[in-house]
Amino acid sequence: MALFSQTSQQGFHALLWKCRMFWPVSRRQQLFAVSFSIPSREKVSYLSFVTSSSTALPVNPKGTDVFRSKKKSEIDYEEEKGWDEETKEISEGKLHFSSSVGAPKKLSQVMSRQNFTKVQPPEKPLQAEEWNRLKESFRSPKMFEMVMFNSMVRCNSPIDVAKSLLTYVAKSDGDVPYNLLVKYLALCVQQGQTSEIRDVYDIMKRRYKVIESAAYNLIIRGLSNSDQWRMALTLLEEVKKVMVPSRTNYESCIKAATCHQEMNLAIELYHEMLAKDLVPTLDVLQAFFDFSRGMKGAELQKELFGMLLHLRENQIYPHKTFMWSVKLWFESIPGGNWRGHLTNIKDSGQCPVCNHQLENSDLTEEEYNNLREKLVRDVIHGTDLFRKTSPQEFQAFQTFVEDRLPFDIVIDGLNVSHINPRKMHCENLFDAVNCLAKENARLLVLGRKHMLTNSSNWKREIMKEMQNKADFFFAENISEDDAFLLYATLQSGKHCKFVTRDFLRDHKACLSDSLTRHLFHKWQRRHQIVFASSVEGKHIRFLPTLCYDCVVQTTGDTWHIPYKDTLEEKYSYRVPRKWLCIQRTQ
Amino acid sequence: MQSASMFLKKILRSPALPFAAQCGMKKDLLPLSRALSLSVCLKQDNSCNHKEKIDLDAWKTVMKSGLPEVIGETVSEHKELSTLAAARKTVEMWRLAGRLVPENITEEQLKTFIECPSKSAQKKYLKFLHLKELYKKNNKRKMDEKRERRLETKEQGSEPDEARRNSFICLWASCMDRAYSWRTAQSMIFGQPLVFDMSYEKDMSAREVANAVRQMVFSEGCNRRSADPFHIHFCNFKEDSLYHREFIKHYKEAWGKLLITVTDQCYTEVFPKDKLIYLTADSPKVMKTFDHDKIYIVGSIVDKSIKTGVSLARAKRLGLETAALPLEKYLLWNIGAKNLTLDQMMHILLTLKDTGDWKKALEFVPKRKYCGFVSKPIHELKKTLSLVNTLKLGRRHEELQKQFVKNYSEKLTRK
Repeated sequence: MALFSQTSQQGFHALLWKCRMFWPVSRRQQLFAVSFSIPSREKVSYLSFVTSSSTALPVNPKGTDVFRSKKKSEIDYEEEKGWDEETKEISEGKLHFSSSVGAPKKLSQVMSRQNFTKVQPPEKPLQAEEWNRLKESFRSPKMFEMVMFNSMVRCNSPIDVAKSLLTYVAKSDGDVPYNLLVKYLALCVQQGQTSEIRDVYDIMKRRYKVIESAAYNLIIRGLSNSDQWRMALTLLEEVKKVMVPSRTNYESCIKAATCHQEMNLAIELYHEMLAKDLVPTLDVLQAFFDFSRGMKGAELQKELFGMLLHLRENQIYPHKTFMWSVKLWFESIPGGNWRGHLTNIKDSGQCPVCNHQLENSDLTEEEYNNLREKLVRDVIHGTDLFRKTSPQEFQAFQTFVEDRLPFDIVIDGLNVSHINPRKMHCENLFDAVNCLAKENARLLVLGRKHMLTNSSNWKREIMKEMQNKADFFFAENISEDDAFLLYATLQSGKHCKFVTRDFLRDHKACLSDSLTRHLFHKWQRRHQIVFASSVEGKHIRFLPTLCYDCVVQTTGDTWHIPYKDTLEEKYSYRVPRKWLCIQRTQ
Repeated sequence: MQSASMFLKKILRSPALPFAAQCGMKKDLLPLSRALSLSVCLKQDNSCNHKEKIDLDAWKTVMKSGLPEVIGETVSEHKELSTLAAARKTVEMWRLAGRLVPENITEEQLKTFIECPSKSAQKKYLKFLHLKELYKKNNKRKMDEKRERRLETKEQGSEPDEARRNSFICLWASCMDRAYSWRTAQSMIFGQPLVFDMSYEKDMSAREVANAVRQMVFSEGCNRRSADPFHIHFCNFKEDSLYHREFIKHYKEAWGKLLITVTDQCYTEVFPKDKLIYLTADSPKVMKTFDHDKIYIVGSIVDKSIKTGVSLARAKRLGLETAALPLEKYLLWNIGAKNLTLDQMMHILLTLKDTGDWKKALEFVPKRKYCGFVSKPIHELKKTLSLVNTLKLGRRHEELQKQFVKNYSEKLTRK
């Protein structure tokens, strides 16, 4: 049983390992890691770069924690994972902030971590003697049990091995430390050993009276997957006495309830969860759709429709498997005659399957005013009007816009001028203005004062020519022109669009409440013209804006649900093009 | 494996080990031979294999022994603990679970812990306390070691040194202090003013204020020790503000005797406007030389969540001139924000004032933030940059950096 690889060239080895650790994964791999929630190394190591704490942290003298290894995704319950990542961050942060040739101490640390991750748990239960021997041969005997348990969880060892280790610990110390019990619990949950889970729970209850969240998470998850799922519910009650249950707690309980067709109970839990401001995961919702397939009951149907509307409210796009669950549920409604089809919606906003015109994404007058007010209050004024502009300037801009309303297109001059890096800035802008200035559209170009000084990039003649075709407003060089852009577009009304490649995420983030943020997003989708990345030298092409709203929608007899493929990465500014069309056939 | 464990359970429940299981004294009974082999087990009959197998559930008996039997009425045990006690319990359990939490926690800290708005905030706070505790412990350990070493050396060299004849008098700290104070007092009359703008309290969290005050204490210290100190002004200083309380915490009764000017007036009321220059990293203007008859203003703000343009907005509002340090010009910037801490600013300004040498002054910028001075030939820097970044970040970033260096050299040749 070779347990550790001891190399003589420690430093070199560690350095190699370090390089490997920070080697970037390909996009694909990262995607994979994200979509399957496998905690990827890279994510963590980049994270630690973001942290601004630069002090070299002292090493925990006990070292009980600093080198925890990662767990598999099956059992990485949230909090535990978070802590692990933090500890990782510390130790790796040290690496980051050290110079490229680290002190020997740091290297040895990396080395030891590498060794820890390579511990191979034994195949069979061992006698106390044998455990003892292993422990002696281990680099730091103090952490031996911890490391061993971690690797057991990782390799999914048989629980007998774990039991023998626990026995050894209990025999030698007369007590089993709590963290080992939790690890053992994780192993049992992983293998669905219900009776063991109950035993451990009893022991914990007796020994400690209070159990902390990580153990509760595990026990609830373990029990809810078994036939003793009712016990998980009582435990949930117990958790409520001490703290607010995590959303994973609810998730496991709801899943268990739906599994056993206890729909009312599940719905009750679901509402309780919403009342506690916990956001249900798509998994929970999917469980509802999966297990109420073919069930009758108007109440239940109403609840599930409510869940779809919840997706609508929060602009959540479900993934493919969820979409299938929804489709199958609809088709299984007794006497419902629902039929689902997968389709792509054309730019016109008409569903090719049922010829239904999708909802127009225009905002109502009230929403418009609301958004405008909020934008002026949060984005332009914010904590201090001087941060983005100055009162005089904003006043001047307001009067300027009022005099010339309404515009059809508002252009972010500086952003557009960088389209083609081969050309002069003013040429790019000139092309764009020419392209958009058809059909007597009223244009407004926003720029900064430095565009007026004759320079290599900004020729005065061209600027003059442009000013005949469009209105120009030049802000101070240190002012934010984006805020002006948004303001002018909103002032002009529904028909007005704006042109910029900016995703405006920072402005969206300035908005104070999520409802307004959603409104902003919706409005942005409807009104932002993006230019197609064209081949160099060709003239600019602009993409049309979406004229339909990309959310879950219903007319009573039809449902249209946008969904995303699991494999494609979806940015917040991109909307899915794939839809599920469900209609009731008479 | 399932069947095997079932089998094991059967064995355990078989009446072959009736008495031993209860007293937890199986050590004597267990022959320490080789590990259990299931295939052998299954072939042999039950009578002989319990001699060689390990009792896997012994730990449970050990754990259960010496504990009171659980009464069926668990509800009675659930006494409504006070929130503080419950929180203390929780923290204790987290510590047992091996999380980063402090061993000892005071009532006050517990209250802060309970008032944390979210679970992640709680975690962060506990981690912070834990690290603080570690620092303390380590310092204490070091001090103890030092003391022991000193005692050892004393014992070894126990014979007292003869008073060596020395023309120099040993200057003790108090004398030094007096000398520094004279110098600072002089600067209070004739020195160049340097303003700290204390109007950022509402932009910061309590911890950020504490950090800002700490940095100001550092800067005051290094100013006092310099050859030609500034005359420090704390402007916009409100009585009994959070700043004030933190300062009292640091300086205690020395706060009243500090040789600085503290005022609740704005700097525009104290000094002529055309002389003021507000130093901020967001400024479009870059400082070329240190001007000895201008008054520089430093915003005493620590912004951990980078709030761009806060201090620039202040300067704009009052119509003051602004300036940023020429970090880009002199340093090949690598990573990190360009806002420096207050004590670093102080060091840089003092050095500039004394020597006017940018290179010397910018030594005080943290080394991790830049890769070297621009005066070096670019290709050398490229090498170090790429090496550092391969080790730190991987290749993608390296390419970015290469791009950056290329642009940089272009910029330089254009100038």
